[in-house]
Amino acid sequence: MKLQRTKAFQTLARPIWGDNPINIQMLGICSALAVTVQLNTAVVMALSMTFVISFSNLIVSLLRKIIPRNIRIIVELSIISSLVILTDEFLKAYYYDISKQLSVFVGLIITNCIVLGRAESFALSNPPHLALMDGVGNGMGYGAVLVAVAFFRELLGFGTLFGFQIIPDGFYAAGYKDAGFMLLAPAAFILIGLFVWLQKYLSGKS
Amino acid sequence: MSDALKSLGFALALCLVCGVMLTAAATRLKPLQNENMRIDRNKNILKAAGLIDEQESYAAARIDELFAARIVRMRVDGAGRIMDTETPADDSVRDVLPVYLVIGEEREILSYIIPINTRGLWGRIHGYLAVDTDGVTITGFTVYQHAETPGLGGEIEKKWFQDNFVGKKLVDHHGNFVSVGVAKGRVEDVVSEDRRPNYVDGISGATLTGRYLAAGMAEILSAYEPMSVNFRQNNIRCRMETIPSWCDDETATN
Repeated sequence: MKLQRTKAFQTLARPIWGDNPINIQMLGICSALAVTVQLNTAVVMALSMTFVISFSNLIVSLLRKIIPRNIRIIVELSIISSLVILTDEFLKAYYYDISKQLSVFVGLIITNCIVLGRAESFALSNPPHLALMDGVGNGMGYGAVLVAVAFFRELLGFGTLFGFQIIPDGFYAAGYKDAGFMLLAPAAFILIGLFVWLQKYLSGKS
Repeated sequence: MSDALKSLGFALALCLVCGVMLTAAATRLKPLQNENMRIDRNKNILKAAGLIDEQESYAAARIDELFAARIVRMRVDGAGRIMDTETPADDSVRDVLPVYLVIGEEREILSYIIPINTRGLWGRIHGYLAVDTDGVTITGFTVYQHAETPGLGGEIEKKWFQDNFVGKKLVDHHGNFVSVGVAKGRVEDVVSEDRRPNYVDGISGATLTGRYLAAGMAEILSAYEPMSVNFRQNNIRCRMETIPSWCDDETATN
């Protein structure tokens, strides 16, 4: 069987494109607005999210046969929040500046509907290796949109990428100005809207 | 019944595992985090002093080096006298407050920095306020820790808001202490012309944060007012000589 045909690969690939959590399912938009002014924060947020969602999916899936049904949501939330606190502590210890910029948004991964949604709808009813793939896929799908939004916002808003100046000084001398609008939350809305349109156009859905 | 017991048991086991794991992680990472916070505090003092550029990143060692060379931590008593941190407080000294002096190449004082620690809307706001040696003009303001709403009160950590304070005055045009207020909107629009030097632009959607910050600053600055008066009357330079560590070159840089 070819790699592309395996169930694991499809589980990984589907949320990245065809069933993207942001562009198609419209989940997790809040943080996509907040942390996408700069590429740095977007990349760290994407990695944090991928870590949390992968391991929450894996752990929930490993425990799926012994989690009592009546307290499953609170169990899932405990697992997710423990992972989020771990991530936050790690960032504070090793990436203090970025952790300060992300401020509450790492903590708010707990309330990101994508994480609980995947635990509840996928991990509880699938074996661990598929659940892990689903987690990684969703994290990457979410992260890809975040990074793409941040790419345009930082490039057009600051004229930089990862803090390095991209727009040459000559442009500024010739009267070019950074689009301050890109730094505001509505700009992220418009960019995500354009991405949704682009993706629907490319995948031929109406 | 047995179902309920099973749920309870599972919940307890889960709490135990999560609890132990998080405690272990938090304990292990604490020293690193504290070190980061210390460097961040020093960085903010240097930022308030105008010695570093916010856009650039600085290695921890560079921060420590700059801090050691340009900042002296002192204490100030109720009469506004500046003392060496090592001087034991005797009975006549009631309130001793920390102050950071920014020193130049010739060991002259360039400005002084007052730590700001005030109530905010959701938690304490910590920062530093730098004042020129005229005892009147603010030369820098930074916030390094707060819990205000991101996008609203959280704007206090942004450059535009902090730069707002530069050049503002602690006294009105009669020379009376008034502290600095946060206007409800743009200073040019809402404050009469003679009081503009005492107000900074407010943050829309964050009236309470501004109110708490202004009230806290007024309280803190009034406690430091005796020292500011000394600076205004140009008394500090001669008083500096009474500080042992200041005259002793060996220890002055510590």
